[in-house]
Amino acid sequence: MNAPFKRTQLYDWHKKHGDIVPFSGWEMPVRYTDIREEHMAVRKGVGIFDTSHMSRFFTKGPQALEFLQTMTSNNVRKLEVNGGHYTTCLNEHGGIHDDLMLYRIDEHEYIWVTNAANGPKISDHLKKHSGQFDMKVEDRTNDITMIAVQGPKAMALLSMIAGRNLAEFNRFTCNLVNLSGDRVYVCRTGYTGEDGAELLLLDTPCSDEGKKRAIAFWELLLEQGRKFGAKPCGLGARNSTRLEAGLVLYGNDIDEQTSPIEARIPYAVKFKVDPHYIGYDKLKRQKEEGVTKTRIGFVMIDRGVPRDAYPILLKGESIGRVSSGMMSPLLRNGIGLAYVKPGVVEEDDTIEVDIKGRLRKARVTKWPFYDPEKYGSARSQ
Amino acid sequence: MTEGTNVPEDLKYSKDHEWVRVEGGLVVVGITDYAQHSLHEITFVELPETGSSVEADTECGLVESMKASSDIFSPLSGNIVEINSNLEDAPELVNEEPYGKGWMFKIKPSNLEAEMSTLMDAKTYSEFIASAE
Repeated sequence: MNAPFKRTQLYDWHKKHGDIVPFSGWEMPVRYTDIREEHMAVRKGVGIFDTSHMSRFFTKGPQALEFLQTMTSNNVRKLEVNGGHYTTCLNEHGGIHDDLMLYRIDEHEYIWVTNAANGPKISDHLKKHSGQFDMKVEDRTNDITMIAVQGPKAMALLSMIAGRNLAEFNRFTCNLVNLSGDRVYVCRTGYTGEDGAELLLLDTPCSDEGKKRAIAFWELLLEQGRKFGAKPCGLGARNSTRLEAGLVLYGNDIDEQTSPIEARIPYAVKFKVDPHYIGYDKLKRQKEEGVTKTRIGFVMIDRGVPRDAYPILLKGESIGRVSSGMMSPLLRNGIGLAYVKPGVVEEDDTIEVDIKGRLRKARVTKWPFYDPEKYGSARSQ
Repeated sequence: MTEGTNVPEDLKYSKDHEWVRVEGGLVVVGITDYAQHSLHEITFVELPETGSSVEADTECGLVESMKASSDIFSPLSGNIVEINSNLEDAPELVNEEPYGKGWMFKIKPSNLEAEMSTLMDAKTYSEFIASAE
């Protein structure tokens, strides 16, 4: 009988050291020790995440650029070789079909890295629209191990292993580097708000040999990372760090019924693009005529922990719902993202969260939720 | 997971994984080692107000973990005479010492004998959590 869930190259290590949970068709570690400790390792030292469950599509050919521009909302033409950007793939109504990182690794070759849950959907979507373009899409999810190394000391750790200063690569670049004998794309990106990199290990397919190699690399990161306070981190800390940074999660904060304008991710949307992408006209109209909901951040004033779908009220009147909420390990206070009617609240306004029938006060705030002078990639060194 | 779970002999237990200890005329209530272990990182505890009355098997508070939000049910009826206010700043005490410093509230019971007889002893509760696995 086939196993119902997929496993990454690092599964055997996770099984031995962590708590495994089902996630988007994969068996993944949710924690190794304590989510809060793992979370703080990311904010203060280094957190190391297995992100191999994310889908990776390689797009190659003379018309790869034109194809990707019809598929995504950022300006693909602005992407230089060895550059990367965050972008969205829209449906015809301007709703978000997927959010992704797009890296340009060669003149005519790009990597599309996206949510595990959206992998099959995007594979079909790319196939359906690729016919008329001179290029090929290849799903290489299973050929490559992907590891995120995140935190203020992440680049120091990776530089030590590489024997060269990898912090010289700018944020949002993607370069092929030899790391301890492995060919690795070092992408200066992440999903935690912190500095660091996402690594694509090209020599670690899902074979016995590949798994061995991936685990050796993972253990090398942990071993060498010890003096930087490195910890292995599971999905729990992945969610808590991204939410503290105010980054959206597909399925919670964005979906087919939500546009990037409503989600307030303007850096993923460009209108001076050629050709136009799917959903362009709807999005342009939203930009000109306005939207019916908008994303806000809030921090609790009263005690309480907001959770997904809790109602948001203003002076007793319902104005929206929580899309993601939790107790922030750093702030030790409840924080959340919500969608509300546009124009009814602004920063520092007091709203109420209906926590199981009790109205609790919260303050509208911008993200990230932490002090960007002290935490996150823009912190003062 | 039940292996290594601490179920002290001298306490009584509810099906909602609360424990009960009779101390003089009062009853101390908390959540069990099994419950705290299942919830993992406890980040927030909301307790009933001192002076309020509670009814057996009804919701009277909240435990939040990194994972989920869970209601606390009062195992007995009566009046809340004291709450563990340390849990406001240190909810992790519930993880660290569920039967000690992580206790939650004290009840002056109104129907002690009848309601105590509906609770489980240590042996029955151990079997109950083993069968829940």
